[in-house]
Amino acid sequence: MSGSLHLGDFTSAANVYGAGGMPRYYGDALVASAASDPRVVALGADLSAPTETDVIRDAMPDRFFMVGIQEANLIGVASGMAKMGDIPFANSFSVFLTRRCYDQIAMQVAYPKANVKLAGFLPGLSTLLGVSHQAIDDIALMRALPNMTIIEPGGPDQIVPAVKAAIEIDGPVYLRLQRADRPLQKDQTLPPFELGKAQTLKDGADVAIVASGLMIGQARQAATKLSKRGISTAVVNLHTIKPLDRNAITQWARRCQLIVTAENHSIIGGLGSAVAEVLAEENAGARLVRVGLKDRFAEGGSLPYLLQKYRMSADAIVEAVVEAS
Amino acid sequence: MDPKARNSIDIDTLCHKAKEIRKHVVRMVARHGQGYVQQGLGAADLFTVLYFSELHLDGNDLERDRCILSTAHNSAVFHATLAVRGLIETSRLDSYCQDGSQLEINVSERMGASVEATCGSLGQGLSVAVGMALSARRRESRARYHVILGDGEMQEGQVWEAAMCAASYSLDNLCLTIDMNNMQAEGHIDSVLNMEPVADKWTAFGWHTISCDGNSIEALMQAYDEARDVKEKPSVIIAGTLVGSGVPFLEGKLSHNMVLPKDVAEQALNFLEA
Repeated sequence: MSGSLHLGDFTSAANVYGAGGMPRYYGDALVASAASDPRVVALGADLSAPTETDVIRDAMPDRFFMVGIQEANLIGVASGMAKMGDIPFANSFSVFLTRRCYDQIAMQVAYPKANVKLAGFLPGLSTLLGVSHQAIDDIALMRALPNMTIIEPGGPDQIVPAVKAAIEIDGPVYLRLQRADRPLQKDQTLPPFELGKAQTLKDGADVAIVASGLMIGQARQAATKLSKRGISTAVVNLHTIKPLDRNAITQWARRCQLIVTAENHSIIGGLGSAVAEVLAEENAGARLVRVGLKDRFAEGGSLPYLLQKYRMSADAIVEAVVEAS
Repeated sequence: MDPKARNSIDIDTLCHKAKEIRKHVVRMVARHGQGYVQQGLGAADLFTVLYFSELHLDGNDLERDRCILSTAHNSAVFHATLAVRGLIETSRLDSYCQDGSQLEINVSERMGASVEATCGSLGQGLSVAVGMALSARRRESRARYHVILGDGEMQEGQVWEAAMCAASYSLDNLCLTIDMNNMQAEGHIDSVLNMEPVADKWTAFGWHTISCDGNSIEALMQAYDEARDVKEKPSVIIAGTLVGSGVPFLEGKLSHNMVLPKDVAEQALNFLEA
């Protein structure tokens, strides 16, 4: 009987934590970084397993600090450690890590340019835990803070270069992370990225879908469908949301008639807004359509259900392109 | 230098330093016409004991003691203390609250060294000190980490998060001084939100609790001596202070941000210089 009793996991479609040799890109990357750099430490706020920090907790217990369910204190503690020369990674769910302790981040991390890395999980609609756990405005919040760098890897395997890039930056970084819930298939893997440089995943001449995070997968599917309809569609991975690669966005807007942004976030204040600002300021010409959560709260549910319901799926991207063309 | 001992400075000298600091506080606030004069006078003794007797400010970033001013608006006494201690040029006090000055009414890291965190948004300083104390311990530093907290700040929930965390990690290199002046922007603390029993709360949170007269140099020195010897627990010094202390006609006069007319300032200075 006991063999069938596992730690359940509401935060991943895999349902059972650590089962089946599930890759733990973040947890392993953190341990590797801590092993090679004595300044790297990890801080937890009760959620070690769903933030993959159980890996460093167990492998390097003297480099892991659990503060309990105290997000505001977590940020202050991380800032204090950074001021002593450590590189603390503060881990929680994105929504608690950003919205709940915004003032603490502003005053103790962003203002003093503290070398703190905020690692947030469960981005956007990626959870059945519902509206309390869904970070739909975290990018908007972090984008508004001076001195903050924002990285959202295009897939779980890009977490590895994201952690590396975060450590190389001497200052605050927000990592918006989505754990792998199954071993990646060959067509789901992504090459490493270069910080601040938009990554072209597929070339195209009519439409450019600019996406980040798990919307990369939806964008790739949409591009394949659109190409079959004769609409040449590019897919651009905008993994670094701040600072933004303004050049790349302007060039895509000069080349394509239509830019579609696809984000797992509110369309207000996130990637879509950031791209809109560039297009307006550069007078780049292309029309813009934003796919994302349209100024509303969502609900708990499976990711495929929520993406379909809130018009953020690959099919929704295709429809948005067809309507705008 | 033994990080576990006081600096060698006698009580008479400390009393003289406290008077110098009080004079600067009155001049700085008078120049602007209004400000945190009452709190500054009230806290002058505890700033004096901390900065002259207790803190070891020499050494590298890992070895030196640090003090975080969580009540960042108590800036006149803070800047004055830095000047009397020789950490900033005394002439810089003239720029306090002037446009472009780094000596702002809420102390910020624009000041550079000596400001360990930008507080002002209340309740945040203790968490930062917990992080410093944790980091120091893992690097085997013997430095001590101090926080000055206002009594009103205890109304912020984050203070109690940090209190719980510090005790859980047995941070005996952490010492909190609460400036109990019974004043917040709205009025008397106990008329706004009663927080008693304060000492019992800290004891219940696992802290070594010391209550003392925050306007007695000697009592404060003894309190810090006691805190330094505590093992396996953070210490809190609950220092009862009298707003306006040192200037009889200002003592006990409750005013968060007080207008300080030139003639009143002059009378206060005459008294302090007598």
